Amino acid sequence: MTALWRHELRIFLRQRIALPALLLMLALSAASVWAGLAEVSRQNAVIERIQPQQAEDHAAVAGHALRDRDPGNAAYYTFYATWDRPSSLAFAALGQRDVAPYLLRVRALALESQIHESENYNAELALPGRFDWAFVLTFLAPLILIVLLHDLFSAEREAGRLRLLRVMAHDRRGWWLRRIALRAGLLLAALIVPVVIGGLIGGAGLAILGLVGIAALYIGFWVLLCLLVSRFKLGSIANAATLAATWLVLTLVLPALALLLINAAVPVRQGVELTLAQREAVHGGWDKTKQETLQAFLNHYPQYRDTRPVEGGFHWKWYYAFQHLGDLSVAEQAAAYRSGLEARDAWTRRLAIVLPPLATQVTIHRLAETDLAAQLAYQDRIRTYHRQLREFYYPYIFDERPFGPEEFKAAPRWSE
Amino acid sequence: MSTARLVARNEWRLMQRSRVARLALFMLLALATVATFTSIAHRNASDDLRARFQAQADQEFDGQPARHPHRMVHYGHFVFRPLPALAAFDPGVDAFTGNTIYLEGHRQNSANFGDVRQSSLLARFGQLTPAFVLQVLAPLVLVFIGFGLLAGERRSGTLRVLKAHGVTPRDLLLGKGLALAGLAGLMLLPALASLGWLVIAAEAPALPALALALGYAGYLALWVLGIVIVSAIARDPRNALVTLLGLWALTTVLVPRVAPDLALAAVATPTRLETDIAILRDLRKIGDSHNPDDPHFAAFKARTLAQYGVSRVEDLPVNYRGLLALEGEKLTSQLFDDYAKRQFEQQRRQGAIVSGFGLASPAIALRSMSMALAGTDLDGHRRFLTQAEAYRYDVVQRLNRLQAEAVTYSDDSNRNKDPEAGRRVRIDPANWSKVPDFAYQPASLAEKLRSALPGAAVLILWLLAATWLLRRAARRLGEAL
Repeated sequence: MTALWRHELRIFLRQRIALPALLLMLALSAASVWAGLAEVSRQNAVIERIQPQQAEDHAAVAGHALRDRDPGNAAYYTFYATWDRPSSLAFAALGQRDVAPYLLRVRALALESQIHESENYNAELALPGRFDWAFVLTFLAPLILIVLLHDLFSAEREAGRLRLLRVMAHDRRGWWLRRIALRAGLLLAALIVPVVIGGLIGGAGLAILGLVGIAALYIGFWVLLCLLVSRFKLGSIANAATLAATWLVLTLVLPALALLLINAAVPVRQGVELTLAQREAVHGGWDKTKQETLQAFLNHYPQYRDTRPVEGGFHWKWYYAFQHLGDLSVAEQAAAYRSGLEARDAWTRRLAIVLPPLATQVTIHRLAETDLAAQLAYQDRIRTYHRQLREFYYPYIFDERPFGPEEFKAAPRWSE
Repeated sequence: MSTARLVARNEWRLMQRSRVARLALFMLLALATVATFTSIAHRNASDDLRARFQAQADQEFDGQPARHPHRMVHYGHFVFRPLPALAAFDPGVDAFTGNTIYLEGHRQNSANFGDVRQSSLLARFGQLTPAFVLQVLAPLVLVFIGFGLLAGERRSGTLRVLKAHGVTPRDLLLGKGLALAGLAGLMLLPALASLGWLVIAAEAPALPALALALGYAGYLALWVLGIVIVSAIARDPRNALVTLLGLWALTTVLVPRVAPDLALAAVATPTRLETDIAILRDLRKIGDSHNPDDPHFAAFKARTLAQYGVSRVEDLPVNYRGLLALEGEKLTSQLFDDYAKRQFEQQRRQGAIVSGFGLASPAIALRSMSMALAGTDLDGHRRFLTQAEAYRYDVVQRLNRLQAEAVTYSDDSNRNKDPEAGRRVRIDPANWSKVPDFAYQPASLAEKLRSALPGAAVLILWLLAATWLLRRAARRLGEAL
């Protein structure tokens, strides 16, 4: 049995294109894994790098904001860092992490004007998309597979050997299967060995098997497609052209059309609308009576109802109350914005059922936690943390308790 | 020359009869048409929406009630980046950059709500625009139709027959090239029509539109030359096809993705969070306005008092708090400018590295040229950021000046204790509408052409190299026969 396989391998490698194609696949896969690992470790390094800077910043804020032991000042001037570490599979699919921030500072003021902030990234570099393993798998691997498989039957036919083979082979099906399995298997191996090694380096553990499984399924899909096209008994050239055209339609044309449709069907302008509305609500707070604002706020935080009433022109109680009310006033729009984004994502997943390249991308990015859902999950964690921060400061502000260095140190920390 | 034309006409007739060629061309034209219409619709809808939001923001600013000027500094303003008309042809980085910034005192916010962050992963597959169709899809269709132009003749042995009829290799290559160029011309038609429409109906600038048309024509011409060359020297049609497919994948799919990665690795940029912290740190070094004994602000006070010839801030003819606000904003704004300049410089260096890869991928050269001419390159976004910051500074300083001149020092100091003073510091809202509205200045024609120049130069280089290679291919073809 192994002799048969070895023989088949010798025949395959004798083809001029075989070894270069496999080596190219291996090189591309290894390069993409290397690039992905480098990017992930860069992001981790940035997260490490900001910690001392953040500590220094807090120390400086403490220097002036705690001078009067006023909690309102401390809450106003202190920005708290949040971050979203790349998952152990992120190296394989960097996804949206280049365009959506993975670091964000927030303070206890209205959140809606903080949470939509962007990172300073070079848009021209982000435009073509990242060179990661998911890209190599989705776009490049099928092309190389097409090079290897397009003349599987046609080359034999063109060389006049096909009839001979039919007569001579005992187990025709097994013979072809072996031939196909060998070619696709070697390609798959070239594709997944680097990612498995990358997974070991990145500490992904068994989760890497998910990527391996998807790669196998996706390559399997293209193998079937190659076999399907070979059924039309075209020449090698026509096979190659048909397969490449199919590749073009499946990986570039249909996804681009799908994006057009989805973005037209689910418009998301609520983002801008809600920031405009939120500003009106927050700053309108200055023109309302303090009683009105505080009453509305105390409905949500009744525990501060019996604290000292506000007198005079300014009090932090009233200030933080209308900050929070500003957020609440656009809560509905914020939810609508979010559900718009989720609807776009859901439609993408639905389309993925009929578009294998999209399905591959969607699944890998979900496993790597670098998709829109991961971005929204990070925002949810920021919202929770922001609430913890507010509610940490509220007792000091509303009960008018002094706020010193000890208290400052006790502020909730971002948990990873 | 007439022989070449004969060859071309004959080839045309063959192509018209070929089902594959007809189907491929039809698909491409259909896609180009869809891309043209949806891009124009999308650009118009986006631009209208932004204009409407801008009008709303302007109106809301002007309509604010009587307020303390410093309240207006914190109320701030929103600006929106208009979308140039040619963005309907090549939207460039528009989807990747936020298109609105919230402007307020002492802070510099980011541009938010870019389309890509609001889309699923699909956005990273590429957007169907006229530019994308011509940059990526059209060359591939040309490859499918043209790979066998000469390799096919060689294989079927008709090359020798042609030679016997007195067709020189030069005529043959020229003729085949002309035939394929005719197809490329057909592919350009929807783009030319859309550019023409944009110039006539949407007031797009004519010269950049013309330069775009020339640039894309040159790019497709380059592919035509490349296909003829490869087809002429390949061993057989299959080799020609595989080589051309490889070249296409390399230059339009792989290199454009690898180049940014290398640029990012070579030139690191700090994150927004770090920049924020660094600006605050620098600001503390200059002076701490919270600290009454700070040397910088003490010197500022002494200078101001001396200027007006008084000994106490209470005796100044203007509100000292307003002067302090003006000084503070000046300091922060200088730092914002410094850091922005540094960031833009880093981005330019990254951009230069990617442009260098234009020598390996004409698609990169064409893309940068195309975005520059359409006004949708990163420079356009930087221009918006710079103008927005200048506008922010202007608005804030106008309001600070109002605080200095229209609010008295004693009212300002007692506004929280004395309700009457608190009422008096809320100045006439007519002042708000005196603040000018934001008017984005797009790049001038000269600036657009200048930033399109590097890409254009690389393309011309490619064309020259291809012409030279074509001559060599013709010679080789002649020798082989």
